Amino acid sequence: MNWLRRIVNVFRPERLSRDIAREMDFHIAERRDDLIAAGATPDAAEREARRRLGHATTQRERTREVDVAAALDAFAADVRYAARALRRTPGYTIVAVLSLALGIGANTAIFSVVDAVMLRSLPVRDPQEIAQVFAGGSDAFTNPIWEQIRDQQNQFGEAMAFSQHGFSVSANGESRRLAGDWVSGNYFRMLGVGTVVGRPITQADDWRGCPAIAMLSYGYWQTEFGGRADVLGKSLVLDSHPFQIIGVAEPGFDGVEVGSPSRVFVPLCAEAVSRGKGSALDRRSSWWLDVMARPAAGGSLAQLNARLAALSPRVFAATVPPRLSGAMEKEFVSRQLTANPASTGISAIRQHYGRALYVLLGAVGLVLLIACVNVANLLLARAAAREHELAIRSALGAGRSRLLRQLLTESALLATLGALLGLALAWVTTAGLAALLASVGRSVTLIVHMDARILGFTGALAVLTGLLFGLAPAWRSALATPRGALSSNPRQMSGGHGRLTPAKLLVCAQVALLLPLLVGAGLMVATLRNLTTLDPGFRAGNVILMDVDAQHASTLSASQRADAYQAILDRLRTLPGVTAASASDITPIGQSSWNDVVAVDGYSPTTIEDSLANFNEVSTNYFGTLQTPFVLGRDFGPADTRGAPRRAIVNETMVRKFFRGANPIGRVLRVNDGPTIGPPTEVIGVVKDAKYGSLREAAPPTVYVSLAQDTSADTGFSFEMRTLGGVNSVRAGALAAAHQVDANFGVSFASFDDQVSRSLGAERLLARLSTIFGGLALLLAMIGLYGVMSYSVVRRRGEIGIRLALGATASGVRRLVLRDVARVVVLGLAAGVIVVLVASRALTSMLYGLAPNDPTTIAAAIVALALVAAIAGYLPARRASRGDPMLALRQD
Amino acid sequence: MARTRNDILQGTLALLVLKCLDARGRMHGYAITSHIQRVSAELLRVEEGSLYPALHRMEQDGWVHASWGTTEKNRQARFYELTAAGRRQLAAEQESWGRLTEGVRRVLRYA
Repeated sequence: MNWLRRIVNVFRPERLSRDIAREMDFHIAERRDDLIAAGATPDAAEREARRRLGHATTQRERTREVDVAAALDAFAADVRYAARALRRTPGYTIVAVLSLALGIGANTAIFSVVDAVMLRSLPVRDPQEIAQVFAGGSDAFTNPIWEQIRDQQNQFGEAMAFSQHGFSVSANGESRRLAGDWVSGNYFRMLGVGTVVGRPITQADDWRGCPAIAMLSYGYWQTEFGGRADVLGKSLVLDSHPFQIIGVAEPGFDGVEVGSPSRVFVPLCAEAVSRGKGSALDRRSSWWLDVMARPAAGGSLAQLNARLAALSPRVFAATVPPRLSGAMEKEFVSRQLTANPASTGISAIRQHYGRALYVLLGAVGLVLLIACVNVANLLLARAAAREHELAIRSALGAGRSRLLRQLLTESALLATLGALLGLALAWVTTAGLAALLASVGRSVTLIVHMDARILGFTGALAVLTGLLFGLAPAWRSALATPRGALSSNPRQMSGGHGRLTPAKLLVCAQVALLLPLLVGAGLMVATLRNLTTLDPGFRAGNVILMDVDAQHASTLSASQRADAYQAILDRLRTLPGVTAASASDITPIGQSSWNDVVAVDGYSPTTIEDSLANFNEVSTNYFGTLQTPFVLGRDFGPADTRGAPRRAIVNETMVRKFFRGANPIGRVLRVNDGPTIGPPTEVIGVVKDAKYGSLREAAPPTVYVSLAQDTSADTGFSFEMRTLGGVNSVRAGALAAAHQVDANFGVSFASFDDQVSRSLGAERLLARLSTIFGGLALLLAMIGLYGVMSYSVVRRRGEIGIRLALGATASGVRRLVLRDVARVVVLGLAAGVIVVLVASRALTSMLYGLAPNDPTTIAAAIVALALVAAIAGYLPARRASRGDPMLALRQD
Repeated sequence: MARTRNDILQGTLALLVLKCLDARGRMHGYAITSHIQRVSAELLRVEEGSLYPALHRMEQDGWVHASWGTTEKNRQARFYELTAAGRRQLAAEQESWGRLTEGVRRVLRYA
């Protein structure tokens, strides 16, 4: 009650003060009346009355203190005072708050992405208990191994298995992939994830020969079915088979793979429905499952690992894959099951983007530091201007800590405003950032949202920055002695005429922080440029890729499929607008690869790696379509058919490595297929090296075999079409061509250019964002330098006036000021170069085609920085040189 | 906030103010000063600087209730009156004052 009243009193200070003053006035009036009645003169009575009550202000304050919560009152007064001070100088406040908002906003935005990709725990029950299980160091399992683990899981706790699968769904004739999971029956029970509608998949649903049922993710249910409850019991066609919908998972749960949210969940056993005879459920050599485990209640990860280790010999002895050599079988049965913490789920994009994101976090950290330096500088300038006021307050008895608290309140208020605005900025930009991440890279879907963690991060940033930029100027001001400050005119007080003042040292620091940021951005941009301008060995422009999936046209035999592909290719070649077309098993810079051991007479590799070559299976004119030139020999021709001797085309690296650089035409290579050696294959041509899976990696030794000679055609193939443009008409024609051959084929399109450029997602992200942040920091530093120099010029007005009066020329004065700028910048650059040389090495693995201390990039960054500094310094210099000397001199 | 700062004078002032309000009912600050002075035959003189902080503290503690009113001279004054809690506090303070004076008396007599 009392506390409440005291707190209320804090917020109605005027009323409280007025009441107290009235009460005191009444007392004095009564006393005066009595004194006059006793014979005193009115004047003397008044004086005596006041004397007896004591010092009026002290009296009022003492009384007031009783009535309010003192600490809160002081704080509220500080905030009011700080707000008033900030309002009085709107320009300063806007610059400071905007600087901070940009810095804090950028940090919050990047952190929220880092959080989404790297840090956030899965939305499941007790995520800290979840562990991923590995078999001999590998995260992939066969179903027979999983069934062994499943049947013995009561010995260690609980385990579940799942496999990501892109279910093919058909829309308007084109097929697209719907990300989903095959899940073991206890998947949802182990994770502790329930349903909003219907029921989850349970162990009772997971048995051999089970019917096809499916669960939806909440997001998919909302977007695809409008969140309608009558979705239950309906069927969803996945991989050309109807699956009955039994439930919808809780909102927020999209599977355990971060970056590729699952839309549907299907019991593991239903894999047989989808893949039919190709089912991997009984294959001991199909490694397609991930396994996760949770220790028994109260158990630890160590216990889980111990139990898994004890279990391992039995599990692997029962699941030895066929056709293993003796040594390999021994190695297999001695494998160990291990478990690693996986509370944040698993993610393929983590390794791809993780480093890039941390580099960006470092970059925005630098931006924030630069912003802080700006604000510190502004505060320092204000503190200097207020030294006089503070000295007076100190002389009047204000405690040092009280003054310090007051100055820090101002910083805190700035930081709070900056953080709020920054949060708003981050709010707006994170969605764009997630979209950028999704657009630059391969199939990354990030769910970024603001939560308590992000708010906490921003709050911590605000406190930290407030202290960082507030403490130094506050300390300096509070240390000022009243005597020193009072003894002279405030304008003359502070020295620093052209000397290195604290403000200028801060600008040096700013430059030293800025240079690494600019160099980093330059390195990223150069890396992206190197990767996009290099010659990959093919020309991706104007090429359309068409993927044909025959998996579900299961009535076709392998040779019928091969014939169908040839029929499609023949049709594509006659399409208007298509200048060349080909088919292949794999497209360059795609997601799949194929390698095998190759044996060549005269080449004896010492390790397995040295005997490996990458493969592709291509039609005639594949190299013509992609414009990979021949160096020697010829392309596959009409004579290279199934019955004819095996033929192959190799690349230059293959020639160098396997044929020791000798002409390989007519030579023979054999493919080691497991323990068997393939038929002799004659080399008929050599093509220029072309990138295989990644633009960063040099072309591996590559063998191209003939598609027409394949007797066991794969269930999926790609077609490449070089077009004259007019992508849409070609697409329609190509789709019709594929469906004329078999209406059951799943067909999807992509541009080759797009496929290549998406492989550079992390690089593009880094180049774009580091450029933005570099520019931002450059702008902030420019504002900082401009502010400090302007202020320095104002302070030197008297000195400059005298110089001008004594005959200095305007250009001389400009030089004087610019020399000052140059000294600050050069000092900062020197420090910055050292930082660059030390720190940029951390970027080595992300660069391509240049070293982290690339002299051109560093020089370019220095020039950019110097140019900006010159502009920022020239404006105040010009103003100084134009001042009227008399005006300046009269002011002091 | 400390209920009393441990100087006797402060505590005594509260006791005297409570007693006055108990005896005379609703009073303003100046009247309290005059009353104490008069009743104590000028032996006690309230330090005026301490009166108002003390009154406000007693108000915050809920011993007295304050309200604005008009004096016979038609001036606006802040009047204080005892609350139930104030009456209990008065009894407690009278009791402890009795013990204090008895203790002091005994020391002065027997020491």
